[in-house]
Amino acid sequence: MLAFRSDAHVDRWCSSRHVPRGASFSLEQAWLLGRAWYEDKLSPDWRRARAAEAEAKFASIGLTGEFWRLT
Amino acid sequence: MTVDRDVRLFVYERFLDQALPPSAEEVAAGLSLPLEEVEASFARLEEGHVLVFAPGTRNIWMANPLSAFPTAFRAETPRGAYWANCIWDAFGVVAMLDGDGVVRTSCGDCGEEMELRVEDGELARAEGVAHFAVPARLWWDNIGYS
Repeated sequence: MLAFRSDAHVDRWCSSRHVPRGASFSLEQAWLLGRAWYEDKLSPDWRRARAAEAEAKFASIGLTGEFWRLT
Repeated sequence: MTVDRDVRLFVYERFLDQALPPSAEEVAAGLSLPLEEVEASFARLEEGHVLVFAPGTRNIWMANPLSAFPTAFRAETPRGAYWANCIWDAFGVVAMLDGDGVVRTSCGDCGEEMELRVEDGELARAEGVAHFAVPARLWWDNIGYS
């Protein structure tokens, strides 16, 4: 996952590298994703999220649809 | 499994202390475990997508969100500065270390530097977007590219 100045920069990057456009979203959502995924990573009780749990985390920050499906 | 939990926590704490992951030998010495037991734990943690090793080795490449090798994503925190695997993971380093820090990266297209500040668990206003090229269910087909 990369950061870009804008969606226009994403389009240019995808076009120049012949990469199909994936999912773009705000940096705020990227921060929330990082927090949801990793804030408990140093806990002794941490365990990897199951697919449905991961999808629920994505959905809680507005990342929904086929691209984000794991189940 | 308790040994896997202990190995995981040792790897992360050593990684954060030294900004480098430990070897299997260092984990074995640190936890007073036989090397074979640590290597078996490494294999289980790899299978469980907890640790990623450099191809063909038992050298830790990723203990997500941390990267053993320099990347385009640098997370600066009160505890230290670390390389991360992607923008998601760079924010993840800050979140993992209690939510204060600066992520430095650059636009994947034009290379312009981007500085993203997180204070008290909130991202300061920032122009830009994140882009994920690979759908979620395919991430672990090639986690290095993802």
